[in-house]
Amino acid sequence: MKVVETLPLSEAAIGMRLAVAVLDEAGHVLVPAGAELSEGMLQGLQRREIAEVSVEREVEEDPATQAAYRAKLTAQLDHVFRKAGDGDETRALYQAVLDYRMEHRS
Amino acid sequence: MNQLNRDQVVARLKQLPSLPSAVTELLASFSKEEVDISQIAHQIACDQGLTARVLRVANSSFYGLQSRVGTINEAVVVLGFRAVRSMVLAVGMSSAFRPEQCPGFDDQAYLRHCVAVGLAARAIAPLAGHNAELAFTAGILHDIGELVLASNFSTQYAAVLAYRKQHDCFLVEAERNVLGMDHAEVGGLLAETWRFPDSLHEAVADHHAPAGAPASSLADLIHMADAIAHALGLSRQPEEMLMPLDRTAWNRLGMDPAKLASLLPQIEQSMDETCQALSG
Repeated sequence: MKVVETLPLSEAAIGMRLAVAVLDEAGHVLVPAGAELSEGMLQGLQRREIAEVSVEREVEEDPATQAAYRAKLTAQLDHVFRKAGDGDETRALYQAVLDYRMEHRS
Repeated sequence: MNQLNRDQVVARLKQLPSLPSAVTELLASFSKEEVDISQIAHQIACDQGLTARVLRVANSSFYGLQSRVGTINEAVVVLGFRAVRSMVLAVGMSSAFRPEQCPGFDDQAYLRHCVAVGLAARAIAPLAGHNAELAFTAGILHDIGELVLASNFSTQYAAVLAYRKQHDCFLVEAERNVLGMDHAEVGGLLAETWRFPDSLHEAVADHHAPAGAPASSLADLIHMADAIAHALGLSRQPEEMLMPLDRTAWNRLGMDPAKLASLLPQIEQSMDETCQALSG
């Protein structure tokens, strides 16, 4: 499972993937979301005195917690899809959103 | 008592205050072969409120610019005329209505849903061979019939919203039962009155029944984007409800589970910032 963590820049490491773009004070994009941090990027961010970054991390999850989260998501989706029928296309959308929500938890 | 008819709606639409001249000019530009871009940029720039909001959208992470644009001319140079045209139309038309007077109408949920559909439409567009900027505008404007009804027939529309809540039904069902018309039909009438280009007209009028629209129209794409936005629950309304996906639209867009999976992450990333840029 991917989780988003906000870390002080000093704890960010090469290879971590940015979850949120890093902007300077004027709103310019310094490093876009999704970029994998390199040594050069980290040095550049230090020079610009960026305090913290949000990164994605893959973590192992307790199966019971995962099942509880899936049950909560399923209940939410069942509510939104309550009158959407069971056509193949509609079910494909349901499954895609369920998979996406399970994969991208913050 | 609450029933509306086409003539009543058309008569009210004709009484609407005129759109900002820059918006009218941009709408007309869809059917012109040659467009005087500098003149249109000048007209936009003369409208300070419109300019400020367009620049806010242009500078949001939605476009991911490396440096900020400070004028409409810069925005045209950096983002291109079509992107600026889309932004001005989205910003200019949505702000022509004041739905706050309609009890039960949640304007923040409306904005969030329209932005979600715009972002979803923009993500789907390249997969379906459509222009992404036009698709974004179509998404922002697809439910504009709701704004027309909430701001011009607020008592009747409040009855629609109450009916929907009571019966837990689709909004279009509540509209047809209470008013005898739905927001797609009313949006279509607005599109005729304001002379939208055909692509936007079809997106507004046919997004709940895309199979009846031409395959080349944006109706399929907006139907799909609308469903994705509801499925993600992005309007944050407790009564959010998805309508069955239209098989013809799905097939004509060449949609499949893998494509769907690639679209979803693109939508939420820019959601909050785009809502903020387009609001107020």
